[in-house]
Amino acid sequence: MTLSLEGYSQLILAGTWVTLKISFLSLVVSFLIGLAGAVAKLSANPVASWGAGVYTTLIRGIPALVLMLLLYFSVQMGLNRVTEHFGLHQLDIEPVSAAVMVLGFIYGAYFTETFRGAYLAVPRGQMEAALAIGMPWFRAFRRIQFPQMMRFALPGVANNWLVVIKTAGLVSLLGVNDMVKAARQAGNATMRQFFFYGVVAVIFLAITSLSQVLLQYLERRFDIGVREARL
Amino acid sequence: MKKLWLLGALVALSLQAFALNAQTIKLGTDPTFAPFESKSPSGEIIGFEIDIAKAMCEKMGVKPVWVENDFDTIIPALQAKKFDAIVSGMAVNEKRKQQINFTDKVFHTPAGMVVRKGSGLTTRVETLKGKSIGMQQGTIFEQYARKYYAPNGVTVTPYKTPDLYRADLLAGRLDAVMDDAVVLQTTLLATPEGKDFEYAKPALKDEIFGVGAGFGVRKEDTALLKKLNKALADIRKDGTYAKIAKKYFTFDPYGD
Repeated sequence: MTLSLEGYSQLILAGTWVTLKISFLSLVVSFLIGLAGAVAKLSANPVASWGAGVYTTLIRGIPALVLMLLLYFSVQMGLNRVTEHFGLHQLDIEPVSAAVMVLGFIYGAYFTETFRGAYLAVPRGQMEAALAIGMPWFRAFRRIQFPQMMRFALPGVANNWLVVIKTAGLVSLLGVNDMVKAARQAGNATMRQFFFYGVVAVIFLAITSLSQVLLQYLERRFDIGVREARL
Repeated sequence: MKKLWLLGALVALSLQAFALNAQTIKLGTDPTFAPFESKSPSGEIIGFEIDIAKAMCEKMGVKPVWVENDFDTIIPALQAKKFDAIVSGMAVNEKRKQQINFTDKVFHTPAGMVVRKGSGLTTRVETLKGKSIGMQQGTIFEQYARKYYAPNGVTVTPYKTPDLYRADLLAGRLDAVMDDAVVLQTTLLATPEGKDFEYAKPALKDEIFGVGAGFGVRKEDTALLKKLNKALADIRKDGTYAKIAKKYFTFDPYGD
């Protein structure tokens, strides 16, 4: 058994970069959607909380793969209908952006719940006090609520991040040349499928292990205010 | 909230404007089907069907632009206009014809079944009772197995890609696999691991195996269909097809 990549290292490397890019951008999108979703779900406004409730129920209740296929093709077909109606050139949703949007939208629902839990873990008095001394709501959220809730949110965020990275392995279905697709192509051309799947597994493990180091640093960072209280 | 949606929309709208350029044609393929279409170490898409498509494009005076897409979702992607034609070893059949149009036959290689040497298994359903048989999902081989084998106590297991059923056959989780004979030859029987396996007899013959593979185009693109058929006839006539075929096969992949 040789460990040679038989010249496919470039293809795998390019695929790894695509997977990383998609995972990270999806994380950013889902993080923002999650924050907004949590605020909406906890809001006194019935439309916002109901809307966010429908979103999390719907998205978390359908397998990510099914959603990916549904969203990707239906959005492109809808877009074609619009451009054709107005006699415009077709707008092709570029596969990487499509994957980011779809993954971000799906995992935004999970982040919504993560942040909702974290939001509730911070005593109400914190926000009330900030508002009482006259801070605008957004500043109070950014300076008072967010740093405190992140402490509670980080374990959940770390969990979601790992799931996002691994779900990014499915995007080849949307025509993206990610790491998994590159491995399948290399394995298929060389008839050493197991070897190339193994390579991809090791790369995934390396990425997730490295992220855990980073996340541990973040957890320490957001623990600053309470560290003294520990024994 | 509004700002967030705007940000999301910005990411989504990093769209490629698709110019309706008469000089190029977008061809969709899943390059995991050697020797018809596969990927070289340098990332180039290569194979018999790829060369045929290139020769046809030359006749048509257009430049092919390759778009990769999983075989599973290649018809919806064609309909969503991700590309203009499917060049992915797609067998012509009635179910697919309801969705898309096909060019004339591009190739028609025989169907085959591979079993372990000395297993005594044949393509006859009596010998396969209680056995497991694998193939790529969504293929005519799955249709055949579902029609003739599954109702008679044979476990039919479709796989996403040929490499997956191959792995299960080698691991002994499958007793037989079905695919195009050329694919079985190059990906299984001609490899070192394939030495313990052989074609099951007698040869598979059925109308399910149909008329061979063609390029798929959208129903409404009748002009493109005509042009492709004309180009195909041209390369058949002037010997280009035969020359390409000789590069990949020891027999005539056109069939009949």
